Amino acid sequence: MSTPLLVQAGPDAERAGTVGAVIASLPVSFAPADGGPDVVALAGTAGWAAAATEAVRSGVRGVVVVDPVAEDPAALAAAAAGAGTAVVLDQTWASNPILAESQAAVRTAIADALADAVLLDSVAWGVPGTDPEVLLTRHLGTVLAVGVELKDLRVIQRNSNGYTVIGSLPGGAPAALQGITTSSLPATATVSVLTSTGRADITLPDASAGWPAEVRSVTAAGATTFPTTYESAHRHSWRRLRAAVDSGAPEADLERFAALTELVGQLHDSPRSPHQPH
Amino acid sequence: MGILGAGPVTQAIHLPSLARLRDILEVRHIMDVDPAVAESVAARVGARFSTSTEELLADPAVEIVAICSPHQFHAVQVIAACRAGKKAVLCEKPFAMNGEEAAAIAAVSAETGVPIVVGAMHTFDPGWLAAEAAWGSLPEQVHTVRSSIVLPPNPRFEDFATEIVGRGPAAPSAAGKASGPDSAAVKAMLTGGVMGLAIHDLPLVRRFAPDFRDVEVLYAQTVLPFGYVISLRAGAVTIELRAAMNGIWEPSWTFEAIGDDASLSIDFTPSYVHAGSATARIRTAASTTVLGPFGHNGYEGEWRKLAEIANGTGTAPRPETLIHDLEFALAIADAAAACVDAGNAAYEEASA
Repeated sequence: MSTPLLVQAGPDAERAGTVGAVIASLPVSFAPADGGPDVVALAGTAGWAAAATEAVRSGVRGVVVVDPVAEDPAALAAAAAGAGTAVVLDQTWASNPILAESQAAVRTAIADALADAVLLDSVAWGVPGTDPEVLLTRHLGTVLAVGVELKDLRVIQRNSNGYTVIGSLPGGAPAALQGITTSSLPATATVSVLTSTGRADITLPDASAGWPAEVRSVTAAGATTFPTTYESAHRHSWRRLRAAVDSGAPEADLERFAALTELVGQLHDSPRSPHQPH
Repeated sequence: MGILGAGPVTQAIHLPSLARLRDILEVRHIMDVDPAVAESVAARVGARFSTSTEELLADPAVEIVAICSPHQFHAVQVIAACRAGKKAVLCEKPFAMNGEEAAAIAAVSAETGVPIVVGAMHTFDPGWLAAEAAWGSLPEQVHTVRSSIVLPPNPRFEDFATEIVGRGPAAPSAAGKASGPDSAAVKAMLTGGVMGLAIHDLPLVRRFAPDFRDVEVLYAQTVLPFGYVISLRAGAVTIELRAAMNGIWEPSWTFEAIGDDASLSIDFTPSYVHAGSATARIRTAASTTVLGPFGHNGYEGEWRKLAEIANGTGTAPRPETLIHDLEFALAIADAAAACVDAGNAAYEEASA
């Protein structure tokens, strides 16, 4: 039987990642730390990369960062590699278990749809007051985690109620990402890939509970709903951390996040283009 | 009833709708420029047939005229039907192709007193009407509107609804020509998409966009084989229009209006088949109110409304409402097309 890793979470990380409830659901793997922790959970607010680097240097075995904003993780990645510390990013939607590499059938269905895509239409929902850039970072991270390769991204509009970002898929089909704030709907994200003869739809739930993601594929042969997984993105992230600590094999979270940060940075000052010729 | 134009929409949408309303409406005259189509379609409902607008309008048995001809004939036929002294006129959308035509129609309607209904079927859908009666102050807080339409090619549903005669060959896809900066093909698809497809929902959009004259199209792009992605603002309201007519068998037609504390989502049933009304959901953080589905769709709803108007028991839409709806659609179509020119100019500049 493995020994539980002792976890310490600050108030911000606890609030953002419901850390106490999540580790309570993994009692063999984790336990709250009274003293020196094995693992720390950090909120992904501005400065998280430096805070995580400091935690790595303090000698912890693992770090979980909840809902990280766009920041360069290069120094953290180097420190973690040097110390052999596992770092997992607990992203609101991108960390949902339905998007894990192990979900081969889901990933195949999405990849098949993307290969024949005529339109990608994606919406991310946040509560009023959500910083549009924070919502956009979550959103782009989700689309990338789905396996979408985006080109020529540019911000079409952005205000306190959300944003519209337009780009294209490798085959030239348009990709439209919209962020919308409201308190009337849960903070979900949807990614719809329309193809020449069907579609694939991924609905990713608010990570605060174990609502299942939904993946549905429509082809000429019919419609398929993939098995649901009643596990939150938070819990899946902690399970990944435990596996990484045990195996010593680093997760690729920081490498992927570096690409996301670069993408968000490119959008900061993107000029508005009303129409991009094919 | 007399119907001008007996193409697939008349055959597959209107006649099946009217067949459900035989107690209140009777088709007495069918006109089509193709005499074989006119005769065949008229025979289905025991009506007379002709090949000229004038002949139908002169038929004293015709009290209500439905204009289901190609778009470019709508305005002149609406005006002629009003001048013929009919009880009411239904015109398929769009009821004109420019502001001048719309103004001329309004003037003739006012002069003759003949009420006009535009066939914006979703505005007559019981699901929409129930939502409208229930949404309270929602329009005051809406900051974002989305219309998303994913449909199979029309013949799939036409054939579920009836047996079509006179169906022409499939139109060559403008999409096939829309690779590269072929602005004419792209502009044609965008204009056709707005005036032929988005226009179904634009009267709904306008209910949540009080500054409908302040239209700024921010982005417009085509979707293959037919469709569009259009981002725009009307005043402070963000409007996102999405459509794809691909080879899918499963239709999806949703309309959403979103505010800070409440939102409306409507799932419309497909056109052509009688699959009941839309289902509307009005949501807050604390509740979801589901309205519908009800037993008939917006097409049947518009015919019921027309019969009420002709009988004097219903109130016709105000002409300015119809004109404003049209102005809104035209402004979006024009601005979307202008986006193509702006984009191509940027493309050429970048390529130079």
